[in-house]
Amino acid sequence: MTELLKVENLRTYFETERGTVKSVDGISFEVRKGEIFGLVGESGSGKSITGFSLIGLLDANGKVQPGSSIKLAGREIVGLPDQELRRIRGREIAMVFQDPMMTLNPVLKIVDQIAMAIRAHEKASDQEVRRRAVEALARVRIVEPEKKIDQYPHQFSGGMRQRVAIAIALLHKPKLVIADEPTTALDVSVQADILKEMKALVAELGVSMIWISHDLATVSQISQRIAVMRRGEIVETGTVAEVLGQPQHPYTQGLLDALPSRARPGELLASATTESSGPIVLDDLAKTAPKAADGAFVQVDDVDMVFERAVGRVGRFTQKFGIGQPSHAVHAVKGAKLTIAQGEVLGLVGESGSGKSTLGRIICGIYTPTAGNVTVGGRKVREGQRKLGTGVQMIFQDPYASLDPRRTIFQSVADGPLAHGLTTRRDARAYVNRWLKAVAFDPALADRYPHQFSGGQRQRIAIARALAMQPELIVCDEPVASLDVSIQAQVINLLIELRRTLNLTLLFISHDLSVVRHLCDRVVVMHHGKIVEEANVAQLFEAPQQPYTKMLLDAVPKLAV
Amino acid sequence: MTSFVFKRLSQAVIVLIVMSILVFTGVYVIGNPVDVLISPDATQAIREQVIAEYGLDQPLWKQYLDFVGSMSTGDFGRSFVFNMPVGELISQRLPATLELAVIAVLLASLIGVPLGIYAGYRPNSLASRIIMAGSILGFSVPTFWIGLMLIMLFAVQFGVLPAGGRGQTASLFGIPFSFLTLDGWKHLLLPVLNLSLFKMSMMCRLAAAGTREVMTTDAIKFARAAGIPERTILRKHVLKLISIPLVTVFGLELGSTLAFALVTETIFNWPGLGKLIIDSIASLDRPVMVAYLMMVSVLFVVINLSVDLAYAALDPRLRLKGR
Amino acid sequence: MGDADMSDVIIKDNFESAPPASAWRDFWRVFFRNKVATIALGVVLVIVLVAIFAPFITPQDPYDLRSLVLRDARRPPGFVGANGMHYLLGTDSQGRDLLSAIIYGLRISLEMGLIAGAVAFTIGAIVGCFAAYAGGRFETFIMRLVDVQLSFPAILLAFVVAALLGQGKGQLILALVFAQYAYFVRTAHGAASAERQKDYVQAALSIPMSGWFVITRHILPNSLPPLIVVATVQVAAAISLEATLSFLGVGLPPTEPSLGMLISNGFQYLLSGRYWISIYPGVALIILIMAINLVGDQVRDQLNPRLRK
Repeated sequence: MTELLKVENLRTYFETERGTVKSVDGISFEVRKGEIFGLVGESGSGKSITGFSLIGLLDANGKVQPGSSIKLAGREIVGLPDQELRRIRGREIAMVFQDPMMTLNPVLKIVDQIAMAIRAHEKASDQEVRRRAVEALARVRIVEPEKKIDQYPHQFSGGMRQRVAIAIALLHKPKLVIADEPTTALDVSVQADILKEMKALVAELGVSMIWISHDLATVSQISQRIAVMRRGEIVETGTVAEVLGQPQHPYTQGLLDALPSRARPGELLASATTESSGPIVLDDLAKTAPKAADGAFVQVDDVDMVFERAVGRVGRFTQKFGIGQPSHAVHAVKGAKLTIAQGEVLGLVGESGSGKSTLGRIICGIYTPTAGNVTVGGRKVREGQRKLGTGVQMIFQDPYASLDPRRTIFQSVADGPLAHGLTTRRDARAYVNRWLKAVAFDPALADRYPHQFSGGQRQRIAIARALAMQPELIVCDEPVASLDVSIQAQVINLLIELRRTLNLTLLFISHDLSVVRHLCDRVVVMHHGKIVEEANVAQLFEAPQQPYTKMLLDAVPKLAV
Repeated sequence: MTSFVFKRLSQAVIVLIVMSILVFTGVYVIGNPVDVLISPDATQAIREQVIAEYGLDQPLWKQYLDFVGSMSTGDFGRSFVFNMPVGELISQRLPATLELAVIAVLLASLIGVPLGIYAGYRPNSLASRIIMAGSILGFSVPTFWIGLMLIMLFAVQFGVLPAGGRGQTASLFGIPFSFLTLDGWKHLLLPVLNLSLFKMSMMCRLAAAGTREVMTTDAIKFARAAGIPERTILRKHVLKLISIPLVTVFGLELGSTLAFALVTETIFNWPGLGKLIIDSIASLDRPVMVAYLMMVSVLFVVINLSVDLAYAALDPRLRLKGR
Repeated sequence: MGDADMSDVIIKDNFESAPPASAWRDFWRVFFRNKVATIALGVVLVIVLVAIFAPFITPQDPYDLRSLVLRDARRPPGFVGANGMHYLLGTDSQGRDLLSAIIYGLRISLEMGLIAGAVAFTIGAIVGCFAAYAGGRFETFIMRLVDVQLSFPAILLAFVVAALLGQGKGQLILALVFAQYAYFVRTAHGAASAERQKDYVQAALSIPMSGWFVITRHILPNSLPPLIVVATVQVAAAISLEATLSFLGVGLPPTEPSLGMLISNGFQYLLSGRYWISIYPGVALIILIMAINLVGDQVRDQLNPRLRK
């Protein structure tokens, strides 16, 4: 195999308000013909910036520094004038982005968007364009391409849009395709299909590909060689077997150790610590833990949730006369039934749109179900429009959004306990500090604002806020989904320890089966608003009963070493 | 789509009913037209006769119903001051205002939007900075003052253009318009310029803000990654994406320009609706005020309605919802 | 005039709740990097100071009829009056020193603009936040009302209200508030509904915190940045509106040396070449409005996260 792309000492710096940011700082690697090259790293490692540097599409304040070299098939790209670069883009190097919902223009038909991409590099008649558009969509396995090319992006699902983006990237059979987290925003079943097809397409067309991802498993599945990036540098590069099988660098080892799928369920993960955290201090809290184990401490009975799009009076009037469309109702949860025992961790698993988050919010009392009841410890969570008591607390997915940016850490944690008499104004400081210590957050920093902390630290604060209400049940809605794998490991560890010490009852909502397997006692699988399967963790993962569960388990990318 | 149109139409009707009540009470509760109509030394008998003649002795709700009833038949009553049917009065003045406003908005769009797109596309270039600074100046300077300056410069100082009036008009469909004659254009030039400067700045800033935002989206980045030339990106992607908010603004601006015209018309002595309403408010000429406000309401409702429809036609996400 | 429409641009922008405390210093550091905006801010501050201390710095008190010399009316700039008075910018038709009148005019403009802006701001923030929080019919009703009102240009509303209420400071402020409050309601509502959807509000509601707490401690503080930007634009708009209304004769009584009134009075002498009576007050007005708008423009750019690098 000969090399197609040779990158030497690539340095990309950004000029910002706070000085120069060295996003990519002297990396070298090469990509061979017909190869898929994986570029792995956590957020801020510079992997995406590397991709954009290669295709010459940096934001205005970013610049590839002199002395860097990018050679495509022997030709130096760095320093080429814009016109030349444009001719290379799309024809020799193409790119696929992360979020398929954003990459296509919502007001242009698919065929028009393909036509523009074709005509960017060659002349073509309308007929020719249509023919090639159909061909391109067929290539990425879109059914009825003749019909689909005349539709608009919003009529496509996320997976289909990503296929269209891939089709556009492959139009001119480029030498190199840069795929920046192309499956991250997709459901795991869709991701599995696209992974398979991409691999086949690369082989079929003989193109090379750089696969940028934070996910070791998908990268290990699709690529032949990989490079691990950290803070703008490549720490290790080699074949998948070399790098992931016998990692030489402690950082790579740390990333691998942080994967829950590689640890025994329930075990603390050895994480590649990138942020320091104090020890978890829990001694005086342990005694408050409830002991009794009740089989159905939390009970969800036949819960239904229908979201109706507001039609208003006029809308109802038009419907009556048959002029309007039938009301647009989304049946998010259908007849959900489940129980959680005290001290149990129940996993709630499903793909996007399965209704798992909605069910979680109903149990937490944020939404009022259309029908059915939720009781915790025998008391209803909701009566009419009012949420009762403080027994159920929630931890949200995005720690950047779940803390009020204008309230200090102390205020955020203290607000609830103060409002509900769990502490007094005088004791609040000590009370809050106790819970911050419980999540290994330094109480000395409690008067700062959330923006001064990292995602992992913020998630600790959010956990402390929930704990401080001394809840009977905590609903965790994808609490580690938006965290880097090493931070994710720390938060998982924290939850495991808290659970042991405080005998917490948790409802753990997640799309990530490996995390659920690691953390939960029992699992409930949801699909299209219905609960399709319920079993103990070991049972579900070893002998799934329902075809949907089987498919889901098969689709999970596994580390291929 | 049909239900969308139906919904908008019924909303428009409700808005009009609410407006008619507001306008009616607003205008009728304040001020006493009897003082305008009758000289202070008129006898009690004449007073009562006049009051009865104009229906001012009826309870307010009765007056309102009469007012709605006669309005729906196109009868807006008689002007207290001009002593002629209000409908006639307004239809006499409307073309003058209409021609002023439409030309002004067209001018504002044709100049403002391209400048704005350029400024949004290259926000850091010198030309863009000048355009943006100019647009801030444009909407900071009060219209009436610009009007005075234009008159002082072109009419007084250089004496090349007339300071007011409509000039010579020519008939189109039996309606007199100034833009059909050279002399008319001479008279139009200053008022149009005066009226459009502010709008031009607005359009320019909107187009710039829209373009700047669109340029940062992934859709544009993806198009660039496919090697699509910048000119095509601007023409196909950007223009199409920002045309949606721009159409909205165009419609609304047309409406507000009609209303804005009252300042320009006063300064340039332009015999349009704006001058009429100012005069009628000064003289508490209720039927004219009510009719004008109702007409403006209808106008705005119609404009909003067509903006909504245009919006739906431009945005496939809205258009295809019903399928 | 209806610069009010400018808030359309602003409302379409999405505001991120900028973090407080240390962000404050950063904000000004970035702000001062823009020289034009810095100068504009300086101009605004100078005008505010001049307006506050007007009685101590003006050569003449335009309210004091005894100090006016009718013989000195309509004198050109630089004229030295019979009583030894030096009229730097000339005199108006009543023999008032134009410089003094302009300074007092700026004082009135600022007073009207700021009071009207503050009242409209308060109404808008309260109504908008509550509507966004309450949702349902209350929200639909309020927002529909606001939409209808916003479809009418501010100048028309202000003109009609001012005409109906008659001349006077109170009446004028009322007319300005009526013409502008809807912009604040819409902005506050837009920002507040965005905040309402965010996880931290959901988190507070799930604790549960009371609705009052959520509105006053979470939603309102986080909705302030876009409101502040709209406020700068609207104060400038109010000042422009005030001048226009006074020019049209429905604003302040002729005894108040408002800038609009000065320009209006000078209008009739414009054609005879006595340009200064209209031009100088106009220039003062434009400098004030433009400076406020330049400051607002920079603040908006800085608060828009999508343009921030």
